[in-house]
Amino acid sequence: MFGRKGPDPAGQATGEALRLEGVRKVYGTDGNRVVALDGVSLSLPAGSFTAVMGPSGSGKSTLLQCAAGLDSPTEGRVLVDGAELTGENETELTKFRRQRIGFVFQQFNLLPTLNVMQNVVLPLKLAGRKVDRELAREVLGRVGLAERLGHLPAELSGGQQQRVAIARALVTRPHVLFADEPTGALDTRSARDVLGLLQESVHMSGQTVVMVTHDPVAASFANAVLYLADGRIVGHQSAPTAEAVAERMTHLAEEVERQRTMAEA
Amino acid sequence: MFGLALRSLRHRTGAFAASFLAMFLGSAIIMAFASMLDTAQASGATGTARETLSIMANVVGGWGLLLSVFAVASTLTLAVRQRAQEIALLKSVGATPAQLRRMITGEAAGLAVLAALLGIVPAMLLGRGLLGLLHGTDQVPSDIGYSFGPVALSMGIGITLVSAVAAAMITARRTTRVRVAESMADAAVGDGRMSRKRIVFAVLFLVAAGWEALITVTVMDGKGSDAMATSGQADILAAIGLALLSPVIMRGATAVAAGPLRALGSAGELAAATMRRRTSALASAVTPVILFVGTAVGTLFLQATENAAMDDAGLAKTAEQKSIETLNFVVIGMVVLFTAIMLVNTLIAAIAHRRREFGQTRLAGATPGQVLAAVGLESAVLTVTGVLCGTVASVFTIVPFGLARRDSATPDGSVWTYVAVVALAAVLTGVTAHGAARRAVRVPAVEAALR
Repeated sequence: MFGRKGPDPAGQATGEALRLEGVRKVYGTDGNRVVALDGVSLSLPAGSFTAVMGPSGSGKSTLLQCAAGLDSPTEGRVLVDGAELTGENETELTKFRRQRIGFVFQQFNLLPTLNVMQNVVLPLKLAGRKVDRELAREVLGRVGLAERLGHLPAELSGGQQQRVAIARALVTRPHVLFADEPTGALDTRSARDVLGLLQESVHMSGQTVVMVTHDPVAASFANAVLYLADGRIVGHQSAPTAEAVAERMTHLAEEVERQRTMAEA
Repeated sequence: MFGLALRSLRHRTGAFAASFLAMFLGSAIIMAFASMLDTAQASGATGTARETLSIMANVVGGWGLLLSVFAVASTLTLAVRQRAQEIALLKSVGATPAQLRRMITGEAAGLAVLAALLGIVPAMLLGRGLLGLLHGTDQVPSDIGYSFGPVALSMGIGITLVSAVAAAMITARRTTRVRVAESMADAAVGDGRMSRKRIVFAVLFLVAAGWEALITVTVMDGKGSDAMATSGQADILAAIGLALLSPVIMRGATAVAAGPLRALGSAGELAAATMRRRTSALASAVTPVILFVGTAVGTLFLQATENAAMDDAGLAKTAEQKSIETLNFVVIGMVVLFTAIMLVNTLIAAIAHRRREFGQTRLAGATPGQVLAAVGLESAVLTVTGVLCGTVASVFTIVPFGLARRDSATPDGSVWTYVAVVALAAVLTGVTAHGAARRAVRVPAVEAALR
């Protein structure tokens, strides 16, 4: 549905979209250290839809922020579509993100002073790219907001705002789309619409999506689930159902304990 | 509620810093000038000396009073509005509007007493310096010694306290009357629509300014320095009138600026798009610029024209004319001081309020540099608009006085005086906005966007 015009961005259709190698993130100073990520390595193929699940404090959000270039890992490497995410300062990181990464947040993060159309084309303008209004209109049409181009975010429902945010993320044709609890502030029906849109972008145009969530129903829309606990990946599940995910989350603590005993033995 | 007021003062010193500064400077200035009355009383001065001293106290003290009330009210309003969330929280745990009003006025009263007491020592020094100035220009004989007494103390503390409490009551009434949800939405996006009351006041001030100008060129024509009496206030009246119209003016200015801004690339686009929806915030920021430029340019060129007229006539200044000159410069000094406080405070508060918006913009792909550039462009539009309006306001004083005094519409004085005033306004706006925005973008984007 989210068909791309012209040639695909390099390597989009094939191979690996995201790779993390031994990523560690430590917060705080010597006296008071918190290890948020403890050596996470993973590889996600292009066109995959992955949910990252874990209890509160497991490092889900840190993982997403490090993988998306919003934060720099203390150790390890992050590669987006084969390009290493490096940047001495925020300006360089921003430029990297602009070209390769799209975001959807729980709080929508639309600019309150810009209308729907202006919000959607903002990333293109900031990046100095040609603003393809036709494409923007088309994407907004796909998310069901063709009639709302001139509205301000405050005039839209939560579900509509999140759909604008998805359109804004997709219009830059990112290599990877990161979603942080995208349905956390929505009612069940809007949540289903939003998840459906994400799923559609994966199936129809090979978009790679990584979604952090704590909701088993949301996770069941993904192709695979990664389980995170205490800053480590402790499990993987393909073709998840909501029931299976909920079941596994319930027993995650025991599973982690068992893995630890086995490792120590 | 007073206990809560004191606690909140102790834990939020930052929020009240600007109000405190305005009260402190205001009380120091009022006391310094009021002490001229004490001096006249204690030394038994008579004749011109006594008159000079009481003119100093009444005229300049009066202006100081007006300015400090204005500055205290504007800073206090912001300090209270920034706490909309805290006030909503207090309401939700059962505070009545009356209790909240007592809390807010209690804070202001506590602050005012402290500021006035701390203002006593600087006021004595300032008063001594003022008398020294009057001695130096032979406006007051040097055997009249300085004294600081009951008039200064009672006026300083009394006026500071009353103006702070009055300003707090007005602010508190407005803040506590709106419902919780409304007060949250209220400040975020304003479209700059103006109340009818505001328009009426704006028109009244502009008519008064026009009237003063008319009187100057008709009744006061050829009356020499006396024309100052009517033309001197016209700029301030016009500046206040224009400041009241600032929401409309800013809306026009952003519309005009949008084209050129867009041509400047992505930061300009960003500035143009956000400014359109933020006209009321921009209006409160442009107000001190208009007042500052209007009064400073008006008064400085008024004095320059007067000096040139005296030179033409080959006359030396009388004691009264000298004291008027001193008064003019003192008034300008005060205007600069208080408008600077208001400007800095308004800009810092407005930008701190936008930290979340900046975070969101950065998440959408703006580099910190682009955010800073957009803020810079906004303050450029702000400065240009403020300078233009201020210049228009100053014309209400300069041109009629020039016509009445020297039959020439063009004022005397150096173009560099004008440049200096404009540069000061630009530097103050630019440096403050840039500094505040830099602080706002130092917070990681995700963190800033979440709060």
